[in-house]
Amino acid sequence: MTVRRARWLLFVAFACTVPFPILGPFGGSVPAVRHVILLAATGAVALAEGAAGPVPGLLILFALHAAVTLALCGAAAWLGALLSAALSPAARRTAVLTVVAVLVATALLFPLYETPFGRAPTATLVGVLS
Amino acid sequence: MSQAFLAAWLAVALAAAAGARAVELPFARTEEREPCAAYDPLRQPFFGDTHVHTTFSFDAWGQGTRAGPRDAYRFARGEAIGMQPYDADGKALAHIQLRRPLDYAVVTDHSDLLGETQMCQHPELPGYDSLVCRVVRRFPRLGYALVNGQVYSSERPERYSFCGEDGKLCREAGRGPWREIQEAAEEFYDRSAACRLTTFVGYEWTGMPAGDNIHRNVIFRNAIAQTYPTTYIETPTPEGLWKALESECLGAGNGCDVIAIPHNSNVSNGRMFTTTRPDGAPITAADARARARLETLVEVTQHKGASECRAGAADELCSFESLRMATMLDMASVGGGDVELPPRIYAREALLEGLVQEQRLGRGANPFRFGLIGATDTHLAAAGMVDEDRFVGHAAGTVSLRFGTPPYPDRPDFNPGGLGVLWAEENSRDALFAAMRRREAYGTSGPRIAVRFFGGWEYPEAMCGASDFAARGYAEGVPMGGELPFAPGPHGAPRFAVWALRDPGGGGAPSTPLQRIQIVKGWVEDGEGRQRVYEVAGDPQRGADLDLATCEPDGGFDQLCQVWTDPDFDPAAPAFYYARVVENPSCRWNQYVCNEHGVDCDDPRSVPEDLAACCDPDVPRAIQERAWTSPIWYSPPASARRADQPASAARIR
Repeated sequence: MTVRRARWLLFVAFACTVPFPILGPFGGSVPAVRHVILLAATGAVALAEGAAGPVPGLLILFALHAAVTLALCGAAAWLGALLSAALSPAARRTAVLTVVAVLVATALLFPLYETPFGRAPTATLVGVLS
Repeated sequence: MSQAFLAAWLAVALAAAAGARAVELPFARTEEREPCAAYDPLRQPFFGDTHVHTTFSFDAWGQGTRAGPRDAYRFARGEAIGMQPYDADGKALAHIQLRRPLDYAVVTDHSDLLGETQMCQHPELPGYDSLVCRVVRRFPRLGYALVNGQVYSSERPERYSFCGEDGKLCREAGRGPWREIQEAAEEFYDRSAACRLTTFVGYEWTGMPAGDNIHRNVIFRNAIAQTYPTTYIETPTPEGLWKALESECLGAGNGCDVIAIPHNSNVSNGRMFTTTRPDGAPITAADARARARLETLVEVTQHKGASECRAGAADELCSFESLRMATMLDMASVGGGDVELPPRIYAREALLEGLVQEQRLGRGANPFRFGLIGATDTHLAAAGMVDEDRFVGHAAGTVSLRFGTPPYPDRPDFNPGGLGVLWAEENSRDALFAAMRRREAYGTSGPRIAVRFFGGWEYPEAMCGASDFAARGYAEGVPMGGELPFAPGPHGAPRFAVWALRDPGGGGAPSTPLQRIQIVKGWVEDGEGRQRVYEVAGDPQRGADLDLATCEPDGGFDQLCQVWTDPDFDPAAPAFYYARVVENPSCRWNQYVCNEHGVDCDDPRSVPEDLAACCDPDVPRAIQERAWTSPIWYSPPASARRADQPASAARIR
């Protein structure tokens, strides 16, 4: 596994699983990808129906969260990949896949996320991405 | 003493009831029904709630409320109903019930989004698969914020594209719930002689341009209502609403009769009580009369705070349930802080402005000649659920109840709301509606305090304690909501007779003694509105202590009565007077919550994160519940008026 590929894998795993707090009046903690989904949903409604009332504010809120959390995931992935650069490709592959597996398994098995905009107060990875 | 008063009141009521059938009804009977067995020509206080939302309101449904209009009326008459959360089979996992049934209730679901709410729920309806409905179902709270905000708080509200051309599909989908609202009101209206519950057909017109709340509850006198409720989306101004009510109800010639009750002027950003037309021109005498004809009452208290008066040094009791925000959109922010509140957002300020406008426009043209009433604004169909120790939240704000009631059930600055009280001969639609129309009504912050308030010129001081208190009150003057006839007696100043009985409690409901009665006077002098609060009965110091650990009330009075003469009366100055009856301090809802969870602010380990507000020093732990009567107005005759003209707007001292 190349360092570049390790970086991308870690980035995707972090973005999909690591919970980040939702700042502002709503509370909760969800992975970066959820912020992107909320941004996309709000953006789609705004595009289709116009952006009146609180819609611009929500768009800004979700965009900021998405940008910051994705940036943090990117930085963490870059650091992880940098550390793994000293390893052989095979060892790097094992290490990265282990980290990804642990993250995904934990996110699948435990309701790590508090989802204030969703249909249930807490959710696993399936709930967040479905 | 207390028992003697009660016995006297009862004796008068029974004697009057016995002879009642011999006299003509003082209100027009517009419907077929049995006369009520409990009829009192000197009128009785009926307690109820004119502001109730059910699952037909988009914001209630969006918070997980499934109780409908029938549930709301079941609840009002004392039955238990389910509330969120619901299990996978749709079974409610929590239940609520009133300790004491109500006498009347009105389901006032939002007319706006009535159809959209159905379309997003039912696959057989068009629009179910629209992007907006998908977002609403997948991300309920996001959808709640998006849709609520985009429709209600827009200056130019529009229907979503899935509503089709001119919004026809959504209006069509709204006909079902509108029909069901009317059917539920009919089904639960007790037309027997028992007269246990009176229901009215109603809805809420939900205008909130740029977040400035200008909502109105529309209440119909009988079963004859508009064919479709007026919406903010199609009719985005109060003037448009009044015009629609005139043309589609009052002027329809079919027996339809209606009033509109504004609420939450406290978050109107000054737009509830305007004195200009939408084009900026000053209102005319005809405008003022039309408004006063339709808006005979204003909701002075509810979940989202009290709207009586401005907190400040002028009146220490105005800080009661005061929201520190100028608009509804400010609720999205946490805390609030020191917000600069705009002028004329409170009922008292509007009453003063009404006097000024009447001087400008001519006698009888007071746009703000309204009485006061209380309500809840529940979004759980929980009509009249006002007990501080049972608050389960507003269910349409920033605190979500979708997943169950949190330990701290709402924002610290929200409250369980109040009740409206109507003085009427019997508990029937016609009698209660007549009380609303003549403003013989008052609001309470929750307790069932009974208050009589009369104004006249020659009431004797010995009236208190006399068995004919109410009879003299009516015979020699006017009740709350009325206007003093100009006939000064030997005292040369108006006299006001006020009599209040504490909430008797019962059914496990708390009963807190009374502390005092105040009379609030507003008048115009040199073209400016002025106000003063007079202490007329009771004692602010008696029983002012409260044990926050037990919430047991202390000391106070079972009843208070006084005949009071205005010591500062100026026969040339227009004025209004209303009574404020104040209980001894009692625990606010948050104190009950914090006590129940064993929070000890000296021990941080006992304070879980979701109860942190328990230890916020800015959140009051005790309140003084109260009743606000409708005003009695004094309007000087032309011979007594001074030549001075009013300023363009009331400045209040």
